[in-house]
Amino acid sequence: MNIEAERQQRLMAQLLAPRADTAALALRESGSRALRGLQAYRANADASATRALATAFPTVQALVGEADFEHLAREFWRAAPPLRGDLGEWGDTFAAWLAAHPQFADGPYIGDCARLDWALHRCERAADNTLDADSIARLGDTDSARLAMQLAPGVALVESAWPIVMILDAHRGGDDAAFAAARDAISEQRGEAALVARQGWRATAIAIDAGSAAWTRRLLAGDDLAGALAAAGEQFDFSAWLTTAIQAAWVKGIRVLVD
Amino acid sequence: MRQAGPSASVDDGLRAGIGLRQPHYAEVIQASPPLGFVEVHSENFFADGGAALAVLTEARERYDVSLHGVGLGLGSAAGVDAWHLDRLARLVRRIEPVRVSDHASFARAPRAAAGAVLHANDLLPLAFTKASLDILCANVMQVQDRLKRRILVENLSAYLSFPDDSISEPAYFAALCERSGCAMLLDVNNIMVNALNLGAPDPIAHCKAFVDALPQGIVSEIHLAGYCETDQIVIDDHGSRVRPDVWTVYEHALRRFGTLPTLVEWDTEVPALAVLTGEADHATRLLRAAAATRAGAALGV
Repeated sequence: MNIEAERQQRLMAQLLAPRADTAALALRESGSRALRGLQAYRANADASATRALATAFPTVQALVGEADFEHLAREFWRAAPPLRGDLGEWGDTFAAWLAAHPQFADGPYIGDCARLDWALHRCERAADNTLDADSIARLGDTDSARLAMQLAPGVALVESAWPIVMILDAHRGGDDAAFAAARDAISEQRGEAALVARQGWRATAIAIDAGSAAWTRRLLAGDDLAGALAAAGEQFDFSAWLTTAIQAAWVKGIRVLVD
Repeated sequence: MRQAGPSASVDDGLRAGIGLRQPHYAEVIQASPPLGFVEVHSENFFADGGAALAVLTEARERYDVSLHGVGLGLGSAAGVDAWHLDRLARLVRRIEPVRVSDHASFARAPRAAAGAVLHANDLLPLAFTKASLDILCANVMQVQDRLKRRILVENLSAYLSFPDDSISEPAYFAALCERSGCAMLLDVNNIMVNALNLGAPDPIAHCKAFVDALPQGIVSEIHLAGYCETDQIVIDDHGSRVRPDVWTVYEHALRRFGTLPTLVEWDTEVPALAVLTGEADHATRLLRAAAATRAGAALGV
């Protein structure tokens, strides 16, 4: 390793170390001044970690409180540092990391709330959708077994054994009744499937029933429409769903599957 | 006391710009205050779509836009991240910026030998050595080849430095610009922060000497911002008005280099837009005064 690569690696290691220590760094500064310099960079990292994760995981931040969230962000930064120079991309493993965190052994829904936050965050960064209106005509002239539906970029399905949409809505400006309802649903462990999609620039989540969830899951997997309809079950009303989906811009278009 | 706005009696084409940050998006788009240009952090617009990109596209219809990166890691021995460069190239195609810049810093490195390359998302300091200059030049040329345009590289405020530095910082930038064909983005606040942290007996004289040591023709943009004093160290926090000592060095740089696109940055404790544009107005007045002085000198008056 050349001298600059080694110098840079050492500084990176000290930025991520549990405690600031300049002993391993060859610096012009010495003593407390060197330590203060290193701390300036470590403080930048702490602030970046909190800012980035608070942007992507506002529900988690609201659930755990700002002070605890700041500690978690610092811990996660050191456990799974960013690989990219766009912090909007950082956090894809945060939900799994939180779910396994001993601090949340008594709050098992936190990981799922984080998964929903991340899906919303990704949705808001996804490509802007343009409906291929002409492609919708394929529904009338092509066998559904040969068609697949492309959902809008960012549309996602998050399924949980916990009421993640109720928790989200309560923290997104819900009133006391919304919090009370979410608490009741948590105590009864009422699971929810969340359909994530953009409404204007903002991503939102709505709770959908089991048939709609099965349907959405199959569409997101790229399955043909006949198979997706079969999975959705007899109660699923495709026409009503399509009307809503087009109005709500969940759909990008229909594509013909190639044999 | 400062005047309310730039003097209207001189060329309106000379106007300073501001760093466009999220708290001001709506107001800048709606009110479109007179600005020379707006500058954004490139990485904030790397997403495939969404609101921020739409705002930038709207801003581009009203202003020249400069894309200022904080994450290329041009000095990284681990090289430039291909993903990052792809995203930047896409943004450059979308926005058609007047300038593209980043920093003479490293950001990417593994934390252990042969480990994964991590991104510190910070402007980490380079040693001013021949070896680091070779790395920086190679990375800058790679970026310029990809973007098919010259980029600007900014000097850092650095809180740590290295005992084996063998090249002065101005000479380092002169060599960088000559070898790679890039230009320099001179951050006057950064040289002041470094002078203060170095304990220079006369920080203004120290900064003027830095400016004087730069060759003519390499500086293509100037940055101004505020700093803050903490225990033992001065932090380049972009969280306050430009300090009087920085304005003094800025005027000196304008005398030396002539008028240059100038940006006022404010990134923490972001104030009301009027406060920031007020700082830009002051820079505009100094730009116009410098232009008038040079015009007078050219006419022998």
